[in-house]
Amino acid sequence: MAVMIEGLEVCKQFGGLAAVNRVSFQVHQGEIFGLIGPNGAGKTTLFRCITGVYPPTSGKIVFQGKDITKLMPHNTCVLGITNTHQVVKPFSDMTVLDNVRVGAFFGRGWARGEVKDATQEAKRVLEFTGLAPRANFLARNLTLPDRKRLELARALATRPELLLLDEVVAGLNPTETDMMIRHIRQLRDNGITIFMVEHVMRAVLGVSDRVMVLNFGEKIAEGTPKQVSTNPQVIEAYLGKSYAVTESAEG
Amino acid sequence: MPAKEVLRSWKTWVSLAGLIFLLWIPFSGIGGGYLQTLGFLTFLYVILSTAWNILGGYTGQISFGHASFYGLGAYTTSILALRGVSALMTMPIAGAVASLYGLVWGYPCLRLRGQYFAIATIGVGEATRLLMLNMDDLIKNNDLLKGFLQEGVLTGGATGLMLPTPPDIHAYALGFYYGAMGLMFAALFISWWVKRSKFGLGLFAINMDIDAAETMGVNTVYYKNLALMLSAFMVGIGGSIYAQYIFYIDPQTVFGFPMSIAMVLMPTIGGIGTLAGPILGAVVYIVVQDRILTANLELGALKLSLSTLHLLIYGGLLVLIVLFEPKGLLGLQKRLAKWWEKRGIEGARAKRVS
Repeated sequence: MAVMIEGLEVCKQFGGLAAVNRVSFQVHQGEIFGLIGPNGAGKTTLFRCITGVYPPTSGKIVFQGKDITKLMPHNTCVLGITNTHQVVKPFSDMTVLDNVRVGAFFGRGWARGEVKDATQEAKRVLEFTGLAPRANFLARNLTLPDRKRLELARALATRPELLLLDEVVAGLNPTETDMMIRHIRQLRDNGITIFMVEHVMRAVLGVSDRVMVLNFGEKIAEGTPKQVSTNPQVIEAYLGKSYAVTESAEG
Repeated sequence: MPAKEVLRSWKTWVSLAGLIFLLWIPFSGIGGGYLQTLGFLTFLYVILSTAWNILGGYTGQISFGHASFYGLGAYTTSILALRGVSALMTMPIAGAVASLYGLVWGYPCLRLRGQYFAIATIGVGEATRLLMLNMDDLIKNNDLLKGFLQEGVLTGGATGLMLPTPPDIHAYALGFYYGAMGLMFAALFISWWVKRSKFGLGLFAINMDIDAAETMGVNTVYYKNLALMLSAFMVGIGGSIYAQYIFYIDPQTVFGFPMSIAMVLMPTIGGIGTLAGPILGAVVYIVVQDRILTANLELGALKLSLSTLHLLIYGGLLVLIVLFEPKGLLGLQKRLAKWWEKRGIEGARAKRVS
């Protein structure tokens, strides 16, 4: 399978703290790649290194054969990488439609007929995420699940090839979680490569093709969900013994 | 809106009547030209307030240093006019100089966020004023730069610069009245266009959440600088008009901090980030200023000239607005309209029940 994005010994230091320490990874085209780990493991920092919010201290990130290590977030977005935020960041005084239109306008851009195309794309994305009935609401008036969907909708409107999802199901109830997972699968089927950080094990292990585990900024495991969830090191650092027991009982 | 509805709306007729009134003012002779001067100043301040609003209202970058653009515009025009360039021709140059100056300090300062940017702009504004105040002394011993002096004067220091007055002052003033009105409509058109364009959408996104905007492909540095340059261009032209109309400029007036504050106040009073807010704010500002500067307060034996207090009054006004109605007069109007509507509905319900 073709490699979509590759990280080579990526490091990010904040003063003396190595938030991400020599992490290498490969995400293949068309897969759902999960990233898990305890709080403070450096998951979000790794995402920020990829998008360019924090340029890596050392190491290299290659997207579709192009070195993107030093690019700014708006550059990586135009190339086709975008992310959702763990703490939702809606443009609160804009309508839902306008929120999404920002992504449609600025993301990958349009050759011509920009206004019409961008608005159409925005409407299509709202339809997909189920936000269409709220299109004319101000973003500040949305509930949390809707805000999460708005994050996803805005990211999709930029027409990404690689979508970084940072805890999109955190705070959602089981029904909403299932719906979000359905969306994620659908997106993959539409050809978008997904790289997701998640704490909800049911979601991430159920949906991912492969999973990487970070602990204290270092990679401690990588493999299929099954391999990872039975890895003793991962159980020790993150999942906890009880998880291992219930998993084996179920499986 | 379809044409029929436009014709039926009261707003169309009110604005048409307003426009005709404005066009008629110079010929009405009301107040012996006083109203015409007031009108001219209002147009000028609407330009300034609209320009500030593009950066401060749309983009959310509050600048307390816009007087530097105003002053540069005024000085560019005066300096060039004194060297024989036709004053009207200097207007685009004045705008361009202000715009470039905006890029010079905007590029480093716009990296700062929120209140830090605001603080930096105060410094820039004051530094510019002091620079212009001492410019002549600075360059008079410099072999390269002293060529710019004309009879030992470039900016004229604290004395400022005096422009020659035209022979027919009335026709000249009349021309400027209509000219400023035209430019005001141009400024409003630009503001309207920005608001509904892709550019404006990017600016609003930056205003709401700069990180999210950046993630979604908005080149925030570029757009912020572009907004500042556009804003500076319009303010620079405003300064140029002012210099040509008043014939006399000095650093304390055109570069002074009160000028910067005025540009922050007007859109804030009217409704920040809206199209009509800056107009409303400028009208209120000019009228209040005009009344206050000439008014006296008598409390028994105590006689106070309000002109010494006018900055205090604006300060108080700003605090009240920020505390109680951050969206300004337009926000207040919306709130009242909602309350009125609600009262109507409840009234109808009460009637039905009884």
